[in-house]
Amino acid sequence: MAASIAYVGGHLQYGVNFCMGQSYKQAIWVPSVTFNGCLQRELSWSCGVSKFLQIRKCNLFQSRRNENWKSFGTVITSAYLRDGSTKYFDFAVIGSGVAGLRYALEVAKHGSVAIITKAEPHESNTNYAQGGVSAVLCPSDSVESHMQDTIVAGAYLCDEETVKVVCTEGPDRIRELIAMGASFDHGDDGNLHLAREGGHSHHRIVHAADMTGREIERALLEAVVNDPNISVFKHHFAIDLLTSQDGSDTVCHGIDALNTETQEVVRFISKVTLLASGGAGHIYPSTTNPLVATGDGMAMAHRAQAVISNMEFVQFHPTALADEGLPIKPKKTRENSFLITEAVRGDGGILYNLSMERFMPLYDERAELAPRDVVARSIDDQLKKRNEKYVLLDISHKPREKILSHFPNIANECLQHGLDITQQPIPVVPAAHYMCGGVRAGLQGETDVHGLYAAGEVACTGLHGANRLASNSLLEALVFARRAVQPSINHMKSSSLDLSASSLWTCPLVPKSLGSDVMHKILRITKEVRKELQSIMWKYVGIVRSTSRLQEAEQKIGKLEAKWETYLFEHGWQQTMVALEACEMRNLFCCAKLVVSSALARHESRGLHYMTDFPHLEESKRLPTVIFPSSHTTGTWSSRQLHQQPIVNSMV
Amino acid sequence: MAKTSLSRLFASLSEHSIAKPSFTGSRSESVTRSAYNSVTRFVCSSAQETQLIREERSNEGDREAAKENLESVNNEEDEGEDGDHVNKETGEVGGPKGPEPTRYGDWERNGRCSDF
Repeated sequence: MAASIAYVGGHLQYGVNFCMGQSYKQAIWVPSVTFNGCLQRELSWSCGVSKFLQIRKCNLFQSRRNENWKSFGTVITSAYLRDGSTKYFDFAVIGSGVAGLRYALEVAKHGSVAIITKAEPHESNTNYAQGGVSAVLCPSDSVESHMQDTIVAGAYLCDEETVKVVCTEGPDRIRELIAMGASFDHGDDGNLHLAREGGHSHHRIVHAADMTGREIERALLEAVVNDPNISVFKHHFAIDLLTSQDGSDTVCHGIDALNTETQEVVRFISKVTLLASGGAGHIYPSTTNPLVATGDGMAMAHRAQAVISNMEFVQFHPTALADEGLPIKPKKTRENSFLITEAVRGDGGILYNLSMERFMPLYDERAELAPRDVVARSIDDQLKKRNEKYVLLDISHKPREKILSHFPNIANECLQHGLDITQQPIPVVPAAHYMCGGVRAGLQGETDVHGLYAAGEVACTGLHGANRLASNSLLEALVFARRAVQPSINHMKSSSLDLSASSLWTCPLVPKSLGSDVMHKILRITKEVRKELQSIMWKYVGIVRSTSRLQEAEQKIGKLEAKWETYLFEHGWQQTMVALEACEMRNLFCCAKLVVSSALARHESRGLHYMTDFPHLEESKRLPTVIFPSSHTTGTWSSRQLHQQPIVNSMV
Repeated sequence: MAKTSLSRLFASLSEHSIAKPSFTGSRSESVTRSAYNSVTRFVCSSAQETQLIREERSNEGDREAAKENLESVNNEEDEGEDGDHVNKETGEVGGPKGPEPTRYGDWERNGRCSDF
């Protein structure tokens, strides 16, 4: 199997502390094969860009010297150059959730910004975050308390410095949001109303009625739309980062994207790039994430030689509505799962397997009121043992009017599909919700690739450790988006944009030459392969894991990937071809493999990662899992950047 | 009995039908539609316990009655500035009506959980 990870060229070295000058200690050192920067360059660049640029170059450089490359509120066309299919910006942001937008608004004061988002701008995990944002905003609360709650929830795997920074800076970030126009609920005393979610020892959740994420997204988008320095490129799917080698360093120069509406490739050359592309819920069949969450950022970063961390910590919710169990199936597959609240169990709901056996007492004396993690594992265990698709949550023994008044949303949703929850049990199955791991980012949001920053769910900052505390994800996004601003500006100022850079990477190709018949076949197969991958992930890399199951997952995923790629290439697909579904598929494969490898590497159970053959916490293993870049000489299409790396070792 | 449960249902369903200004205009629309659909269904199902699903009838009379019910309930519950709901226990203005979303640790609204 692939390239990236443990088994390339050697054995797994265990417990070696490999200090890279950061506060992070590496738990598992995965041997990396050093990347050979001198690859054969394909001369298939047919856009004729370089010629055009050479002519333009002189004029532009003259005016640039005077302009100082800044644009304060002035029309930005002078600061960004449009040239056929290549665009030049100071800052490129991938993703339009809270992290991306927050960052864009700040850096736009210092240069031109492109926000590249694969669908509509509001289509992000942020938009679905309807809980709240946690911050210390009450006089009786304290940063230490928030820190403690975070670290306990994270099973002591959190990076303490990161936790301190986030908990300390959180309140200011909230105040800024309010100043930007986000409106949160107040008490009648005029102060922010703070709720208290599980795991928090104080009231500290700021929220906007029941749609905090949407409210924040709305406020930020409004500001973005009104900012003349920010250009939003919606329906632009990011394909790969454009990188080069400068000695032993990898440098990011921008990103290739596919305009999925016009089927045109657009190349963005930028001095600084921020990854804010969110999560990877769709590596699993049942997820709360919207369809856009296919792990694009994590995959691109891994292919670009960035370090990935803690991918084994996937947060599941135990009881999402299982469409398979509904009498009337939804006409089209539900995009994102409907989570059934803990309150149903709190109000007396009972869990049964499909033989109507109550199973929770077998796993925990608290039965249905056991902690969520225990419930999730128990359900997972039942499903695996019995080879079934869902379990049942029964509240029908409770008074009808109570059910309808407390849970009208569930009642309504189920009734629309032929189920009366006051009479029948609700079919439920665990759903993937949040990725605690991701692209390793330091305290400034910096990654191992120069000029590349990461913030939000795509990043692994060390805040969440082995399990995310409720309402900390929006907070993390806000804090790190802000922290990445100054380093980005500094990096931007010290970089010069080489306008001939664009020609150094092969251009991605839209597969027009294949014809629509072949494309239909490819799309159909890709759809099936995606379902198959999700099925493997759920079956073998779910909530309850074991070494043998993970190894089987590795095998199966490897075979599936090979089968899919062979099919593509047999039908004329070329290495540099791009299509939305195919690119998403390669990203899903990449992320799935990262999760499997990370899970195999952690020989203990901690937080969200549970192994039946290592069921206990091991103090000696209280270290992050780190995956280093892989060699490009071996590996699959999903593990290599689309373009070839440039021959030159240093950028002019 | 049935009447109180229905009016409470209307009350909580009406929160969804009041579309807050948002980017996802189409989303709030479909929730409104589904709220009215389910209102019709509940009006039906209370009359006939055994039957779960009724065919969609263009029952204008029912819909009008439901609308009036919704409006009267809204007028009853709205207090405080700008017609925002004020929670009597916590003093929260503009907050969610009904049981406290975090009462069991997660963030729930009308049964649906969005954070935990």
